Amino acid sequence: MFSTGSKYFFGISVLGAVSFAVYMLLIGESAIGATALFGLVAAAGLLTALVLFTRDGDAGEEGVAASTAAPTPSMWPLIGAIGAALLLVGTITSAVVTLLGIVVLLAALVEWTVLSWSERASSDASYNASLRKRLLNPIEFPVLAAVGLGVVIFSFSRVTLAVEKSVGATAFIVVGALVLAAGVLFSLRPNLKRGIVIGVCVIGAVALVAAGIAGLGVGVREELVLAKEEGHYTHQECGAEESEHFDKLPLEVISATASVDSTISLVDGKLVASVQGIAGEQNSITIPRSNPTNIVFYNASEGEYRLVANLGKKMVTDGVNEDVIQCTQLIPQGAKQLLTLTIPKPAMAGKPYTLTVPGLAGQSIEVIVP
Amino acid sequence: MRRRIIGALAGVTTTLFLAGCATNAPQDTWQPKGPNAQKIDNLQKPVFAVAGIIGVIVTVAIIVAVIKFRDKGQPIPHQSHGNPALEITLTIIPALILTVVGVFTFRTVFDLAKTSDTEMIINVTGQQWWWEYDYPVQNEFGITQPIITSGQLVIPAGTKVLLRQTSRDVIHSYWIPALNGKRDAVPGRVHLNRIEADKPGIYAGQCTEFCGLSHANMRMEAVALSKEDFAKWVANQLKPYTPPAENTLAKEGETVFMNQCIRCHQVNGMKRADGTPVIAAPDENVVSGAAPNLSHLMTRNTFAGATFDLLNKSCREDVWNADSESFGAKYLTGVTEDCLNQSDLRGWLRNAPAMKPMYANPALLASTGGKYRGMPNLGLTESDIEKLVAYLLTLK
Repeated sequence: MFSTGSKYFFGISVLGAVSFAVYMLLIGESAIGATALFGLVAAAGLLTALVLFTRDGDAGEEGVAASTAAPTPSMWPLIGAIGAALLLVGTITSAVVTLLGIVVLLAALVEWTVLSWSERASSDASYNASLRKRLLNPIEFPVLAAVGLGVVIFSFSRVTLAVEKSVGATAFIVVGALVLAAGVLFSLRPNLKRGIVIGVCVIGAVALVAAGIAGLGVGVREELVLAKEEGHYTHQECGAEESEHFDKLPLEVISATASVDSTISLVDGKLVASVQGIAGEQNSITIPRSNPTNIVFYNASEGEYRLVANLGKKMVTDGVNEDVIQCTQLIPQGAKQLLTLTIPKPAMAGKPYTLTVPGLAGQSIEVIVP
Repeated sequence: MRRRIIGALAGVTTTLFLAGCATNAPQDTWQPKGPNAQKIDNLQKPVFAVAGIIGVIVTVAIIVAVIKFRDKGQPIPHQSHGNPALEITLTIIPALILTVVGVFTFRTVFDLAKTSDTEMIINVTGQQWWWEYDYPVQNEFGITQPIITSGQLVIPAGTKVLLRQTSRDVIHSYWIPALNGKRDAVPGRVHLNRIEADKPGIYAGQCTEFCGLSHANMRMEAVALSKEDFAKWVANQLKPYTPPAENTLAKEGETVFMNQCIRCHQVNGMKRADGTPVIAAPDENVVSGAAPNLSHLMTRNTFAGATFDLLNKSCREDVWNADSESFGAKYLTGVTEDCLNQSDLRGWLRNAPAMKPMYANPALLASTGGKYRGMPNLGLTESDIEKLVAYLLTLK
């Protein structure tokens, strides 16, 4: 009654059903866990029925005799052993090593299993090889491409972090142009010797990886180290400017510009607000309580200015209150900075929350928290 | 046996088909009640017709092929590879169909994204598992102070209303099918969604992005009022808080509210005995940092994220089934003691998590530092509940 394939899915169905029962009994009712296991049972059951209905896709009707030859030597057991070793080492060193071990082990298991199965699929070695390729190439090629891309990105990022900003940008343009030129050349000259193409690619890859390793050895450039030490990525200063190394155009980060509620601009000494979705200039912005809200400060005036959010007072000890303020950096003309406000409570009557610019009297934007 | 199977399949298909013909379906995507939804309807009906015809043709072709050419032991027919004329034809026809659909789809998408002629703005904030609506100051509508409400979005009919949507916790999606398509509410982002209702009435909706345990209970209702009625609604929302009269059950309820509910729920204008304003602190008790503002609660028809009705069944039907001329007056009556859905409101106060699944069991809140997702069981006594109901009824 049961075909070979259906037994496999039937087994998963039964195992899933038992797991579902045990889960419900021992762990209790959980929408996610129970749903996942029930989904597994349903999916495996469906596949069982499908495989039974199609009789394993008539796989046995190809009329090719099974192979009796001994399996060919393979590197995968060795790679699997390396993966297992990494997995063990990782448990006492680093989670990254563990993860790497798991990935290597899983890859070796899949490759070795499919290789062994394909070698016994028929007595025709070339047919067996094509069978293996048909199964694994759709997985191998994207994975290898992703890994290759990751190596390229990681290597190049080490280089750009190590060298001066302008040098990094120039290197990016030059390398990109070289890759493009090589690609165009290869496509225009399809008869180019295979050895030349492979040689160019290998030399380029080795050079990039070597540059990445060198960049890793040199470390990130001093400016970034200092900026990190100054804590520029985690705080905004409200007092005298102490930090020197910071990105003066942080809004070049796409994620920041894509999530802006409103923009506060300082134009000709006047503070105005433009709110997403609302036409015209505003003198107040309304933001929901307890909701992180991104505001951009744009300095269009001559000189360096910062935006200060005055968010009332908070009690630090009994009877002692201190001002709650948040600030952007001092930014030069033409620069923008992001300020994320999370205001848990509405302002007290007569004491509104405001956005102001120190040194600019009479200019403020009211922040209304309903 | 085969006849039975075919009969059963035909029965199921007919039932499903007829289920789509229900007229009393408030979330029916085929019954637009505003220009934005009408634009979508104008697109989806022809597209559905084209897709339906193609679907029927393909299904019939597959069934015929499966039955006619099934394996009956005949030899494998001659296998041919490639038929350029047929392949090009079968590529061009779908491409042409998709191009025509694409042109009209893009036009509709751009039409719906238009915000330049917006007349009114409302900020919409999603949270597990309710929606908050706040109305920024808009003097042209008499909104001289921000208004905040939840559960029911009140809008003037015939007005282009722009919803500025965001979320405090996870991704939600705002969808009132009769007024427009769905639009996600994403934390940290403001998404724009415009709605407009042709006539006064109530239009139901449902969160359409899975957002956790009570996603299915995260409902919403848009209430459209005539411009005159909307002005009355605004005026009422701007009325200052009136504390209950001394020595009444409601006054005792106010005390219970201040001791229990105020930890999360704000009632604007409420003051302590010493005159200091009472400010709720949901940020200290709720993971997402907010709880519904209960100012003028009894002007709404729903509570608990529009999951439950504040009006009892007959009063609610009276409002829902009112014609557009009399609807405004009925809605603005609000919730009277006679119309209050005592059963659900008392049940909610007695044990909220038992009525709506929420992460509110103190024993299971280690991962959130003791903060709730939803309303916990406050362990109120029946006497407290009696007082609270009396007090809540005063929030008109």
